[in-house]
Amino acid sequence: MNDEKSISWKKLQEKWLTRRNLIRGAAGTAAGAGLVLGSGLRLSALADDEDEGKHNKCKALARPIPHITGPGHFFFPGPPDGSAPSTFPHFPFAGFDPSTITDFKGVIAQADLDFDGMGTSLETGQSVPYHFHTDWRFFKGTFVAIDGLEHRGTQTFI
Amino acid sequence: MPEGSGEVDLDDGTAEFHAENICAVFDAFTVPNSISPDRPLGFVSGRIDSVEIKWRGVTKSFMGVHDATNHFSGDFLQIGMVTIAVTATTPKTTGHGFRFVSDPATTKVNYAEIGRERNGVFFS
Repeated sequence: MNDEKSISWKKLQEKWLTRRNLIRGAAGTAAGAGLVLGSGLRLSALADDEDEGKHNKCKALARPIPHITGPGHFFFPGPPDGSAPSTFPHFPFAGFDPSTITDFKGVIAQADLDFDGMGTSLETGQSVPYHFHTDWRFFKGTFVAIDGLEHRGTQTFI
Repeated sequence: MPEGSGEVDLDDGTAEFHAENICAVFDAFTVPNSISPDRPLGFVSGRIDSVEIKWRGVTKSFMGVHDATNHFSGDFLQIGMVTIAVTATTPKTTGHGFRFVSDPATTKVNYAEIGRERNGVFFS
């Protein structure tokens, strides 16, 4: 049984609620601010394709890994070798692939972080402290894009 | 991302990511909006002015990982020290002008790693 497939919707939403705080922060705070980013939406920035222009003018889009966690093709951060104890959050009974793109070879970096900062309303000038949680990754190397061709580039996952 | 925006040095156990002006950032406003296909995604109104992330301090090594179930393999290093410096803005023209500036010194690592990987058709 794959426990990750049976992860409760509530738990997933809690996780994503945390993620959405990356830069948007808490809407409805005294600052009344609404910045933007993350929002639980997984952004995989387009590759800077060194081949761009040879084939077409469009950026090459990588395909997601087949594995599904809830509504998305990704693993939560965790040990890649399957050594995580069953108490580990989002335990998948397998290794956690840090890459969110498939047909890829290259280097990766991943960081699941909490951090603080200051949010300022550009309307009123009022500033208040914000706390954020992010899972930020990048992948640099060669990948087979949806056009079936190999491309080189760097992509980021926010 | 531009060439050189991300670098990983497995011998040194470090990595860096730097980017500026990541535009067209969605704000879905609510979680259901962002994951439900029958709901609006919100507005593309924000940008990340700059972000710099630095990884260092190897705490554990995972060499020769070979996951036949999920078709990925590689060498990975768990990292204990990461800092993030990020500044992001929703322009004032949206009527919701806002700027966030992080304090890198407050960064707490929940999990971090760097590595070299092959997956999908490159899995072997």
